[in-house]
Amino acid sequence: MARGGKKKSATSRKVNSQSATVVKPKQQQSIFKKSPVHDLLHNFQRVPDQWAGRYVLVMSAVILRAAIGLGGFSGYNVPPVFGDFEAQRHWMELTIHLPVSEWYFFDLTYWGLDYPPLTAYHSYILGKIGSFIEASWFTLNESRGIEIDGIKFYMRFTSIVSELIFYIPAVLSIANSMGKKFNLSRMDQIIISLIIINQPHLILIDHGHFQFNSVMLGLFLYSLIELIKKNYMMASVWFIACINFKQMGLYYSTFIFVFILSQLKSFQELILVGFTVILTQLVILLPFIGDRNNLIQIVTRVFPFHRGLFEDKVANFWCTTNVIVKYRELIDLQNLSKISLAATILAFTPINLMLFFKLRNSKHLTRGLIYGFAGNSLAFYLFSFQVHEKSILIPLIPATLILLIDPTQIDIIQWVNNVGTFSLYPLLKKDDLVLQYAVSNFLINWLIGPKLLLSNQNLLWSIIIKGTYLLMIICHILDYAIIPPARYPDIWVVFNIGISFLGFSLFFLWLNYKVYKLKVE
Amino acid sequence: MASEVKVSSPNGEYTLVNIWVITLALKLLLAVGYHSTDFDVHRNWLAITNKLPLSKWYFEDTSQWTLDYPPFFAYFEWALSQLVPSIVKEDGCLDIVSRGQYGLPTIYFQRFTVILSEIVLFWALHWYMQTSKTNDRATFSRSYVVAASLVLSPGLLIIDHIHFQYNGMMYGFLVLMINNARLKNYLWCGFWFALLICFKHIYLYLAPAVFVFLLRSYCLNLKYNKKVNVLINLIRFVRWKNLIKLGLVVIAVFAVAFGPFYDQLPQLFSRLFPFSRGLTHAYWAPNVWAIYSFLDRVLIQVYRNLTLSRYPLQQIFEFNPDLLKDESLIQTSTRGIVGDIEFLILPTITPKLTFYLTLFYQILALLPLFYQPTFRRFIGALTLCGYSSFLFGWHVHEKAILLVIFPISFLVSRDRLLLGPFNLLVSCGYVSLFPLIFTSIEWPIKVVYTVLWYIIFYFNFRKVVSIPKVLEGNILDRVIHGYILGLIPLVAVTTLMDIFENKFEILKRLEFLKLMFYSVYCGIGIISSFNGFSSYYFIYDSLWIDD
Repeated sequence: MARGGKKKSATSRKVNSQSATVVKPKQQQSIFKKSPVHDLLHNFQRVPDQWAGRYVLVMSAVILRAAIGLGGFSGYNVPPVFGDFEAQRHWMELTIHLPVSEWYFFDLTYWGLDYPPLTAYHSYILGKIGSFIEASWFTLNESRGIEIDGIKFYMRFTSIVSELIFYIPAVLSIANSMGKKFNLSRMDQIIISLIIINQPHLILIDHGHFQFNSVMLGLFLYSLIELIKKNYMMASVWFIACINFKQMGLYYSTFIFVFILSQLKSFQELILVGFTVILTQLVILLPFIGDRNNLIQIVTRVFPFHRGLFEDKVANFWCTTNVIVKYRELIDLQNLSKISLAATILAFTPINLMLFFKLRNSKHLTRGLIYGFAGNSLAFYLFSFQVHEKSILIPLIPATLILLIDPTQIDIIQWVNNVGTFSLYPLLKKDDLVLQYAVSNFLINWLIGPKLLLSNQNLLWSIIIKGTYLLMIICHILDYAIIPPARYPDIWVVFNIGISFLGFSLFFLWLNYKVYKLKVE
Repeated sequence: MASEVKVSSPNGEYTLVNIWVITLALKLLLAVGYHSTDFDVHRNWLAITNKLPLSKWYFEDTSQWTLDYPPFFAYFEWALSQLVPSIVKEDGCLDIVSRGQYGLPTIYFQRFTVILSEIVLFWALHWYMQTSKTNDRATFSRSYVVAASLVLSPGLLIIDHIHFQYNGMMYGFLVLMINNARLKNYLWCGFWFALLICFKHIYLYLAPAVFVFLLRSYCLNLKYNKKVNVLINLIRFVRWKNLIKLGLVVIAVFAVAFGPFYDQLPQLFSRLFPFSRGLTHAYWAPNVWAIYSFLDRVLIQVYRNLTLSRYPLQQIFEFNPDLLKDESLIQTSTRGIVGDIEFLILPTITPKLTFYLTLFYQILALLPLFYQPTFRRFIGALTLCGYSSFLFGWHVHEKAILLVIFPISFLVSRDRLLLGPFNLLVSCGYVSLFPLIFTSIEWPIKVVYTVLWYIIFYFNFRKVVSIPKVLEGNILDRVIHGYILGLIPLVAVTTLMDIFENKFEILKRLEFLKLMFYSVYCGIGIISSFNGFSSYYFIYDSLWIDD
């Protein structure tokens, strides 16, 4: 550094620290002052160092993901079907070798493509790059079940890069824009971004179990950013991209519909938004257009109604109460899907009605937006048809964003996140990710600090939070120490989903209450 | 500066506990990743010390990984082996076999012992911080940055928690020694250093500095009293009481370590100092000999391709030209396989020569220490001893770079001037560790962690260092920054070569070139940082006075 430069930086530092001290009193005192995460990051508190804080945040996120990636993945060493890891790799293999028209028809019994087109394009690009490095990773048919170090590294690398492109920048930018709205200090924005980015559920599923949920969630967040800016056409583009990456994004669709409807002031706007939606969808489907069979095939692959009410064990209403009422024996599939649809509609209607009327004439939309998305997607998770345990990621992301509205809710938000990760435990145990599960859970909770986690003053909430944590610990101890009786091999899993379902339902009620209490002006 | 720190962190706790927990999480996650043969080495030592009587420890050779650390380390392994739970025993952890057959339980157990033993380092640095608490907040925050930079060191992460060794504990002892020297607890200083040597004898490289420092500041009295005659002055020249006390402490430590092996000392020492190894390691540590070997390879090509050069080369180096006609020999030398003949054109290097060179540079560093036995001089001398043994030593491992990085870290916060050599040293030193971990899946961890560490501490050291006492070298700083940035293309190119190794046959044959890039580039960096540091050490006396 030159002498002149040094002087300059010294003076600018002075100015900056002065301006920082002037601005500070306006902002509320950070509630993270006492938590370890603040202690670790306080070196980057001063204005000139804040950019470094962000780099630290992003790079440590990468390290955590890469380290979790050392663990097992879904279907590791379980021939002949393997798991999600092989599915994602297989899609890369088939998209680069086959013409587009055959993508959705190829060998459906072995991980046939059943995600919407954007996933297929994503696989195509990654497959092209991968086979440029090493063609044998993706030889058609012959590469099935390949598990050598090279492909393992490449796949882990793609999931980290995808998240770095789609998800992490989205979180940082939404933290920035909402932070300004709700008067959060820079430091708090960085801390909350860190808490959002390092939630174990998404990391464990994407970089352990192996999927690309972060891409879908990132696309959703971009859509959310545009909604906050009231740019509904752009928001529609992002949102259509989101559901075209993974159909699970549809959990958000009811609310985005209700919201945009509540905001449109003229018929002209409605036409514009509708036109954008259709155009975006057409562009995404462009390679398939003209082949009616292919389009029908995509729809039937993407929405497999024959699969049943739920898969494995999910902490939703149907699977949990299934312990008592055996729905699948009582009612046929056709009617079950209708019943679950009715239940879902019943569940999300109150929130949507309240928000529709509250937001219609309001200028402050952000709170309503976040609560609405969290409530709607949670309603879908709890009551809709064909839910995966992994679908809990979808309501958890908007739920975690509540921190940006009101950081003091950290006790409840982290609680529901913990319940969410806990509900994934049976899956992660199957994937040999117990160590990673334990470490990442410990890390995030310790970073926030037990003082904050158990700080709820409300007696009822305090009992709920502490009680759930206690039950979770008991469940883990039982699962570790006692082999379940032969008659009930899944007893601890049922215990697990029972606790989780209880937690999610309470959180759902809380969201409804929050929306009820929401003051929009 | 002090007031600024106060403003920015009114509630700053400055404890290492948080850092420990954070890194604990990372280390636990790394437990299931790659580990080197050193893992089996230590497992074998657990087995030997557990299953055999003490008298056979240094004779056992079922496995090629014989016990070749001093007795305290063997005792340490014995103590650990007592803690092995039965599930790990069944896993084959304590079997004396030529090649270990073990699974996850053994891996978890041994990884866990590394993590636990590293607490020594945290505790030592915590104590260092506590004893730096004065009225001046700046001194304390400086000590925090130093301590944090050491416990977070990418070197320790790569060597201990991926590659597998117990350096964290060893360097913990070193820090205890250094802090005792700072607090003028000379007896403790001697004790910890003797203990350290009895754990791992590589620290003998630092012994000259410790010896001279303790001798000069504790055992000698160089004041001439004119009131009494020459003879009494000569007797008072040595502080006999101190000398005896210190001697007893050191001898006691060595006696406890080596006593039980009194009847097999030759065997023990032949294990500790195997002189049969080659000058350079299979992968060249980035030191003078790496550059020397590189020059030899360059000259071979010049000799073979430029007919004109043959005569002068022959005249200057007087080598045996017949060797250069042997194609297979050239093949092996360019591939880096260490044969009987290491150099074809340049003169061969003998162990004696490396020893004399090391000694020469160490003595050079000790002279100023003898005249100015301050704590800072001592750490400077310690650093230079580390430098010279790393740069000129026989069969140096790239891991030994920590011998330099640890002591120098205690100095940099002193003056901005030292940041140049320090940055060059840590960046080149840590990057040179990358080839140690060659598995692709750990690549993002080692690279991103090192970059992250560098960014954090580059800025934090700049923030806390005191204003330079001597202003100079602005252009030099830029050159250093440029050189450090050059590591990015270095890592990028070698990584690309790795990635496309299977695609292009030629890259496989260039395997050695990659390592050569690393060791030559990092070697030049470390040698330059040695030159920079030495010049400050020998020129600016004011830098080395204690506060």
